[in-house]
Amino acid sequence: MTTSPSELAERVAGIVGSDRFSYDNGTAKVHVEAARWVEAHEALGAEMPYFSWLSAIDWAADVVVGDPPETEGIEPRYEVLSCLGNVETGDSVVLSTDIAKDDPKIDSLSGVFGGANWHEREAAEMLGIDFVGHPNLSHLYLPDSFEGHPLRKTYPLLSREVKPWPGTVDVEPMPEEEGPSTENPEDTG
Amino acid sequence: MIAVLDNFWALLGLKVLAATGVILTVALVIIFAELKISAHMQSRVGPYFAGGRYGWAQPLADAVKFLQKEDLVPRDADRPVFKMAPMVVLAGTLAVFVIVPFSPDLVVRNLDLGVFYALAAGSIGTVGVLMAGWSSANKYSLMGGLRAAAQLIAYELPLVLAVVGVVIASGTMSMVGIVEAQAEPFFHLGDTAIRLPYVFQGQIVGFAIFMIAMLAELSRTPFDMPIAESELVMGYLTEYSGIRFTMFFLGEYAGIVAMSAIASTLFLGGYYFPGLDSATFGPVVLLAKIGLLAFVMIWFRWTFPRFREDQLQSIAWRWLVPLSLVNIAVTATFKVVF
Amino acid sequence: MTSADRQTLSMHHSEVQVSVELQTPDMTLNLGPQHPSTHGVLRLVARVDGEVIEEVEPVIGYMHRGYEKLAEVRTYSQITALVNRIDWVSGFANEIPFMVATERLMDLEVPERAQYIRLILTEMARISNHLVFLSSFPLELGASTPLMHALRERERVLDLIEGVTGGRFHPNFNRVGGVKPAAGGGSTQKKVIQDLPKGFLDQTREAMRYVRDVCDDMVDLVLGNEIFMERTKGVGIIPADRALAFGVSGPNLRASGVPFDLRKTDDYLPYSTFEFDIATGENGDCFDRYAVRLEEVIQASRIVDQAVDSIPAGELRAKVPRVIKVPRGEIYVRAENPKGEMGYYVVSEGGRGPYRLKIRSASFSNLSVLPWLLKGQLVPDVIAVLGSLDFVLGDVDR
Repeated sequence: MTTSPSELAERVAGIVGSDRFSYDNGTAKVHVEAARWVEAHEALGAEMPYFSWLSAIDWAADVVVGDPPETEGIEPRYEVLSCLGNVETGDSVVLSTDIAKDDPKIDSLSGVFGGANWHEREAAEMLGIDFVGHPNLSHLYLPDSFEGHPLRKTYPLLSREVKPWPGTVDVEPMPEEEGPSTENPEDTG
Repeated sequence: MIAVLDNFWALLGLKVLAATGVILTVALVIIFAELKISAHMQSRVGPYFAGGRYGWAQPLADAVKFLQKEDLVPRDADRPVFKMAPMVVLAGTLAVFVIVPFSPDLVVRNLDLGVFYALAAGSIGTVGVLMAGWSSANKYSLMGGLRAAAQLIAYELPLVLAVVGVVIASGTMSMVGIVEAQAEPFFHLGDTAIRLPYVFQGQIVGFAIFMIAMLAELSRTPFDMPIAESELVMGYLTEYSGIRFTMFFLGEYAGIVAMSAIASTLFLGGYYFPGLDSATFGPVVLLAKIGLLAFVMIWFRWTFPRFREDQLQSIAWRWLVPLSLVNIAVTATFKVVF
Repeated sequence: MTSADRQTLSMHHSEVQVSVELQTPDMTLNLGPQHPSTHGVLRLVARVDGEVIEEVEPVIGYMHRGYEKLAEVRTYSQITALVNRIDWVSGFANEIPFMVATERLMDLEVPERAQYIRLILTEMARISNHLVFLSSFPLELGASTPLMHALRERERVLDLIEGVTGGRFHPNFNRVGGVKPAAGGGSTQKKVIQDLPKGFLDQTREAMRYVRDVCDDMVDLVLGNEIFMERTKGVGIIPADRALAFGVSGPNLRASGVPFDLRKTDDYLPYSTFEFDIATGENGDCFDRYAVRLEEVIQASRIVDQAVDSIPAGELRAKVPRVIKVPRGEIYVRAENPKGEMGYYVVSEGGRGPYRLKIRSASFSNLSVLPWLLKGQLVPDVIAVLGSLDFVLGDVDR
């Protein structure tokens, strides 16, 4: 019933008119140009009417929170993602587009999918992306007076500045776990 | 002692005090019954500790607790109206008992227009509810008060029309007279005189309408929209606390006693029970009948969801009013023909 | 006090005054954040004309805990503790898609027994979640007795979950590559493999019988009640196409007649080996949403029965490295949670925590349809519609 990720990604890429697609880890993902963002969704809407979610990623080489990316030379950009699905076949595909950091602007999907309204408000307040044509891009979660965009990688997590734990810091080893025996399969409990 | 009783005002005061005491006691008993019955319907135990056995003192403990609470009045409230509203509700309910006969002689005042008086006095409470809703300076209270007013207007009519059948059948509006009429033999089976209350003398439809309208008048489930805690927080009661809340609460249960007493008298034979001496056993018989009706109301409350107001209105105007008119016509026809 | 202040203070009087021409100005009714029927801290700002809603604006965010940001500074095993607090009524089910996403990125094969335990507990979480709904929805319509009856049987299910995981609401039981050895198996007894508690399988079968019994009660007491039908049939209808465009999922979508169940289409847990039906409604009204969830409880108990009968023996956890590092990659894994589609878009850059974690929660999308849905409804219907959507504010705000 469900199409395999590779076929699905290829087919969707054909529908939205793109040649950049991937299907790693079973997730079909198709890259479209930012200028054709709304157009691509309209084209795909007939086959995939189920709007699952929309969000964005802040790609940055230098981060103030979390582990820095291991990949060399990440191109700083915002990647906007949306996920559409077909409820009859169970297929689901992620559409993505890149927008520049100095002018994070993209057309709003709220005219195509009603559900995009809240998701775009969330992405706008969390990452500071301007969704052009959105009816009401006010804060969804945060107080109106809140400044900054918390999900940007430049936004520090204050509690982490004060106290490093819990988090990805190394704590001192438990008494029975002397030494870094990282690959010992007996010690998995 | 006897000399004191000869004085009209002294006697009146005594009667009022006695009636109030009895009614509030009965109301407390019904509160307790509701706590226990609802608990058993829901696989709970209910009150358990207050008073030692079965938690019988729980309503008293609740009342004492409420009395200790601060009597809050919202800053924007219409103070005099806000403070008066619970008294109006309680007084209106207690006033009904003036005409309820507990035995042929045990009645505060046997008015010739008893039924008329009861229905009129019974409606005063809703004025109090509307006052509470309006004066609280709270939108939820206001909506609760308005709902109560709409409900009263809709259900007063079927309530009155349902009673008309009984009045036609008995030919009197005196409560004692109506009970006496039900004590008359309905027909004879051989030598045995069969005496039946009006509910079995063809007034079953009237009784059903009266019960439904009564639930609506008392704002009991399934007609508890004026309170509707899941929609209007607590409706017109939202801003009340302490002793004023207690008065509303007691008024609600005293109202159950009052309306049950009227229904028992009109439809179930009141203090009369075949084979029992009315003068001696009258109060017990009436209280038993009140208890029966109160149980039915408690049963409804813990079984049904509540209606929406538009559905409530449509029940009143599209079903109850036409039905009660038909009931009057049929009763009148039988009265004339037989 | 300025005159403007005084005007604000007397607003409630002027707003309801009826002028000679019988113009009735609209009133702004603020439902929540503290209101009995908003399931926590949802706030609805409604413009009402009498009791008719003209416009409603949901205000959310009172429960926003910033999990997506927190996840960027946590390790994968620490995130389990975060995600089961998203929808706390079905905490266990929230962990599954995140764990599956991590395992797929790491290319781990989860032992079959662990998968079965996950499946049984997920279905139990579904039963407990739906029993809360089945009991609290009638309460919002004014019937309080179903609450006690359904919650009594839910307690059996919660006891079983607690017996296995040690937690009633926040199990934190999944580990990357499998499940934690059951409660009591702490670090001192590392070599002794602790499995499901003794008697768990039999007690589960018994509990499922009780659950089905209470479902029968609910059919008689609630679904067959005339007043309940009056209040719910034809109220709050969500047509299928609108539901899809708003991302409404789970029982709410199925009530609109769309037989979409991720347990059938996706393979995050071995559901394909069990027989169960997808419950669907026809009209997408409040009544259908209730009936669908009632049927889902029965189906879930069927799945649990089959899983308990056929649970294989074996390991509880795959061999995983001591320090869990996830290779570079992106993955989206979604699962059929009791409230709808719960998904995690995990972006790993090779660290011990994700570079970005997008949490797609069911209630957020289910709730976003509210402004459209509530227009023109009566205030009592607002409560009915809110209740029938079965949302949890933690799942909306994350």
